[in-house]
Amino acid sequence: MSAPVPPRAASAPIVEVDNVSKWFGDVVAVSDLSFAIGPGVTALLGPNGAGKSTLLRMLCGLTPPDRGTVRVLGADPRTDLGVRARVSIVPQQEAMFDALDAHGFVRLAAVLNGVPNPDEVARWALQVVELDPDDRRRTTTYSKGMKQRVKVAQALVNDPAVMVLDEPLTGLDPRQRNHLIDLFGRLGEEGRCVIVSSHVLDEVERFGSRVLVVAQGRLAAAGDFHAIRELMDDRPHRIRVRTDKPRELATAVMSAVGALAVRLEPASAGRPGGFVVDTTDAPRFRRSIATVSQQVDAALLEVSPLDDDLDSVFRYLVQR
Amino acid sequence: MTAPSSPSPPSAPSAPAAGTGTASGHRRVRGGALDAVLRAEYRLILRSICTPGRLVALGALSAISLLTALATRAGSSFDPLREGVGYVNGNVATLIPVAVLVLGSAALGDLLEDGSMVYLWLRPVPTWVHVVAAWLATVTVAIPVVLLPVVAGTAVIHPDGTLLLSAVVGGLVAVASYSALFVTAGIRFRRALPWGLVYILIWEGFVASAGKTATKLAVRSYIRSILEQLTGIQLKLANFSLATGILVPLAVGALVLAYGARRLARSDIA
Repeated sequence: MSAPVPPRAASAPIVEVDNVSKWFGDVVAVSDLSFAIGPGVTALLGPNGAGKSTLLRMLCGLTPPDRGTVRVLGADPRTDLGVRARVSIVPQQEAMFDALDAHGFVRLAAVLNGVPNPDEVARWALQVVELDPDDRRRTTTYSKGMKQRVKVAQALVNDPAVMVLDEPLTGLDPRQRNHLIDLFGRLGEEGRCVIVSSHVLDEVERFGSRVLVVAQGRLAAAGDFHAIRELMDDRPHRIRVRTDKPRELATAVMSAVGALAVRLEPASAGRPGGFVVDTTDAPRFRRSIATVSQQVDAALLEVSPLDDDLDSVFRYLVQR
Repeated sequence: MTAPSSPSPPSAPSAPAAGTGTASGHRRVRGGALDAVLRAEYRLILRSICTPGRLVALGALSAISLLTALATRAGSSFDPLREGVGYVNGNVATLIPVAVLVLGSAALGDLLEDGSMVYLWLRPVPTWVHVVAAWLATVTVAIPVVLLPVVAGTAVIHPDGTLLLSAVVGGLVAVASYSALFVTAGIRFRRALPWGLVYILIWEGFVASAGKTATKLAVRSYIRSILEQLTGIQLKLANFSLATGILVPLAVGALVLAYGARRLARSDIA
């Protein structure tokens, strides 16, 4: 795994992104991204606002890059109608055509792609996502999870070589999440290029795939998921401890837990004093802190991570 | 694509040769399939713009127009032909463009606004198909909802063949050209409705009345010319021949639709 070096697809690339930047006014959404993706499932991981959706829209040609080039199947997805026939998207937004039921919506996608037997293909696609093709209710009456599945169904009808899925598991119950994760995996195994975005680390782990980590519009890391997971776990963690004996416990922690640094916090406004620890071995810290506090006869009032949210993980990856 | 799991597809497409070759030469929708696409999009947009709220509001406006016609007929007039031309002219200036604005700006504008346009745009279909489908749908709704009531109102005032012909021809040209303008406005402007109202009320209502040059840039002037040429009743700023009155708005409408298609192809799609 190497963050700064643009990753290349192991086999012939289907999607090639070369020095791509995109900005909206003064806001840089994507900054100088380069990578190539081949067949199989690739997860695009990043916090909300990282530029994932903008990147996915550029891959589909829905918006042009301000700088750099995007090639899909060797052509520009923005201008080449032939590419559009082989690309499908599950967009993030919920809006669909209010006037249609699920079958009508998926059938329309088949018709617009020039698929023979659009009725039959639409029925098949809805069955693949475990929806009833004979349900004549308008999609406006559907739950969020059902709408997500309809959106996935419409993305299947054109036999796509490239599937772009923007947070496709949002709103699904656990069983349906498993079902769709399996489906995406099989589509990848068939040789399709399946690009799935998510801001949920555990979700990406289940795709068992290659990962592109995007943060603040930049490629923060790329490669095998497990390597990135290890990198995330190895980063320095910052943990706050509140206790009735902050100085004594801080001293004991420094020697016993392998802390990189300890900063005392005085008591204030009715809150007890404490300290903040920087450590590269958070699991060891969590295992040891209770024992160490007993040794110095200190009461543990609070132990809370200060940077365990995903945003801070991504920030760390960007700053490496 | 082979079925990833049971149930097996009735007509499963074959597995793709993903990653092999380029996109050029791959399937595009052409010929007969393009007709099917146009029909499908037309039906979709037709259903999308026919919301109960819109139909009730426009129906109410048309009913008011008919009541106006009845009131005009009830009043004593020594020149029903002139009254009839005035009635058509008034509706061409207000009811028809406003109704077409409501329908046309929503035809693609609503899809762009809520993000569902992506399901039409990301297909192997040229953008002119979306625009033409939207124009056809707008015209289809506008004719029965506003043009027919206006023609009926004209017949109520004075059931004269020439007058009715002028109402039908002028109304059709107005519906066709305004539909092109406002479908494109829906693509071009995020808030097409207020922009369209500004165009109808400020530009066509006042600015275009300022002189001969400005008149050439208002649809209304051409429709007035059609009415004047067919009925012989003189109207202000009706400076064009019958052929010019019919052909210029239609030609401009076609050009505006072409611009709309080009604009849509270059738009950022949410």
